[in-house]
Amino acid sequence: MSPAQLPSRGDYFKQWRGGGKVCAVFPAQYPKELLWAHGVLPMEVWDPPLAPARAQGHLQPYICSVVRQGLELLLAGGMDEVGAILFPHTCDSLQNLASLVADYLEPPAPSLFFYNPKAPFAAAAKGFYVSQLQALEEDLTLIFGPAPEGAMEQALEWSRRLSELYAQAYARRAAGELGVGAEEFYRLLRAGEYLHPRDYIPLLEAWLNEAPAQGGPKGQGIIISGVLPSPPDLMETLDGLDFRVVHDDLISMSRRLLYPPPGQGDPLEALAESFLAMPPCSTRGSSLSERLEWLKGLAQSGGAQGVVFSVVKFCEPELFDLPELRRGLKEAGLPSLVLEVDVNQEVGGQAATRLEAFGEMLS
Amino acid sequence: MSLSAKARMQFMKDLGFPAMLSLAKATKGKRKPRKANPDFGPPLRCATRLKEIMTRHYYLSRFAPGARPVAWVTSGAPVELLRAFDFYTIYPENHGALCGAQKMGPELCAAAEDEGYSPDLCSYARVDLGHFFSGKTPAGKLPKPDILFCSNNICQTVVYWYKVLAHRLGIPLLMFDTPFNYGEITEANIAYMKDQILEMIPVLEKASGKAFDMERFLRLAELSKSASQLWGQCLETMQARPAPMTIFDAFVHLAPVVSLRGLPVARNYYEILLAELTDRVERGIGAITNEKKRLMWDNIAVWYKVRDFSELFAARGMNFVAATYTNAWAETIQHLDMSHPWESLAKTYSLVILNNNLEHRLGLMEKMVREYAVDGLVVHSARSCKPYSLGQYDLKRLLSQRLGIPAVVIEADITDYRFFSEEQALTRLEAFFESLEAA
Repeated sequence: MSPAQLPSRGDYFKQWRGGGKVCAVFPAQYPKELLWAHGVLPMEVWDPPLAPARAQGHLQPYICSVVRQGLELLLAGGMDEVGAILFPHTCDSLQNLASLVADYLEPPAPSLFFYNPKAPFAAAAKGFYVSQLQALEEDLTLIFGPAPEGAMEQALEWSRRLSELYAQAYARRAAGELGVGAEEFYRLLRAGEYLHPRDYIPLLEAWLNEAPAQGGPKGQGIIISGVLPSPPDLMETLDGLDFRVVHDDLISMSRRLLYPPPGQGDPLEALAESFLAMPPCSTRGSSLSERLEWLKGLAQSGGAQGVVFSVVKFCEPELFDLPELRRGLKEAGLPSLVLEVDVNQEVGGQAATRLEAFGEMLS
Repeated sequence: MSLSAKARMQFMKDLGFPAMLSLAKATKGKRKPRKANPDFGPPLRCATRLKEIMTRHYYLSRFAPGARPVAWVTSGAPVELLRAFDFYTIYPENHGALCGAQKMGPELCAAAEDEGYSPDLCSYARVDLGHFFSGKTPAGKLPKPDILFCSNNICQTVVYWYKVLAHRLGIPLLMFDTPFNYGEITEANIAYMKDQILEMIPVLEKASGKAFDMERFLRLAELSKSASQLWGQCLETMQARPAPMTIFDAFVHLAPVVSLRGLPVARNYYEILLAELTDRVERGIGAITNEKKRLMWDNIAVWYKVRDFSELFAARGMNFVAATYTNAWAETIQHLDMSHPWESLAKTYSLVILNNNLEHRLGLMEKMVREYAVDGLVVHSARSCKPYSLGQYDLKRLLSQRLGIPAVVIEADITDYRFFSEEQALTRLEAFFESLEAA
């Protein structure tokens, strides 16, 4: 199994919609198990490679490229054949985008909303999260029909298996036992943004079985933190400079993929417990101390020498946390570098030069 | 809390501040009065009282540490809870507006940027962090907080911002999570908010050293409600033609309902402001001398341009008579019901404009255009405030189409004038003035 054998998003979508149901999903965290239980394929919308055009008439220039590109995809007809569009509550911009789309842009499919509690430390958060799951379950039943008997249990089984595989991939990489670069690693893991677990689990298993233990980059160990592993050429640049990405702290990746597997009790209670035990994240109200300790722990476990913050321009949740995280990391002897990126723009020579200089400083 | 600190604060309250005020009045009497602008009616007499109230609030805050527990609070947080525990409250957003009006925004923002904060972040936050790092403020000195209290009913930004303060100061952050209302508010949302309030009470008891007293809370909540209702009535006087004040006045007279809500001083102030405004309406006294067109403002003020904009529009006989921003502290107060305090407090704070969907906002704006007989709309696209700004292009288009009124968007910022192009704004406004005059 190699990344080249992965079906493209477009091909997979065409093949799936031949007989299946699809829901476009905006970032970031949502209970994908509920969608699977209803036989629905979540198609996550993070960074569609489109030139911004139509979205500019609706969004100010200071709105981030994740929101801009997502809206562009919708306006360009890229969601015309989905059965629903799900907007998890992640930040102010995605919140208003959801309202804008639902209220005024005549979306091609019904809009669904899912509020992730921003005070997960409150005792009230668990019960509230369960109520959100119940509300989404009702909406999905109305749009796609009821989940067949046993489908929720099957979805949770897929979730548990994926949780194991993600944990295995991250642990092997941190231990230096996964001989692949960042580009291949993230191409494989990002396939989970659009492949159904029935197809994705075997692909991931095959990849982990076949991936060499040796042969990846051998240079300085780093952690990448930010929103998502994009633009794609950033990963190629890191590989080209022989950086060994030992772990990540990305919203689209480890902060939601390394979830504790749902337990065996009541399915909704189990999903709530999983959500509340996810790694700390700027979008979920985690304190800076939690985030800092988490980052230091990642660096220690993988032997990272520095942290690269790849932050999407105008992303307030990430930009606010940045100075204190950098200060704390510096005190812990971990230098860091900040790259502000747009998901639809290439990394560019200047960023590559800065990364190269950062690598030299670490050595 | 120490007895000596309490005695010192009481002394400053009873003698120190009044003496300082008398001295300031004596000095002011010797200054040459500013020449009256013929475009404006007589200034509001209440402005002097407002200045006294806010000066006193900031002045006494210096003596609060040790005497009373101090909290820094976001403008949309249910402060009634803190009042019940006698917290001295400071509103960094109000302080940000003050810094913006004093044109200190760029200097304080730069102090935050020097510490690594991006210039793309909210400038209220950067001003506050810049003050935190540099100690600079036009208010003399702000007291360090014992706790931080924020609610995301106005934006998620305040959560990120207050997390930084909590981390730097090593103090607790109380966060009131108000799920966004994509449609109607749900029972599950109300139950979640009520549970959070109940969880906060023991934390506040510990931080203040005081037991919660339900009767006292209800009394203070009633005070808060009456201040907000009076503020709403003050705004409603602007339905009169000519309007007795401009929205630029309202931006300033808003301070007590934001910062002193739940205290007798706020309610008392709005009683005298309402009396003055009602009197002006009865006597036909307008805020501007020749009110030809009536406008509505959307978004937070451009604080460093309040005076300039006020004069620019008044010179053309244009008066702002309504704003979604000033209305926010009156819009939902009718939900506060002392027979169901927790559920109604949750509704009051959850249903505010920025925690509601855009359809709600459009409906509100349509209603205001009709009730205030608005002829045109000025939309401030504020790069600091994404929840207020994202969606404005469509709101402007729809409002223009539905009601047939001219509208304009100006790109600016609330305090950081490095992001304001006067030339570009004036070019847009000139075109707006032409279409308004032709209408």
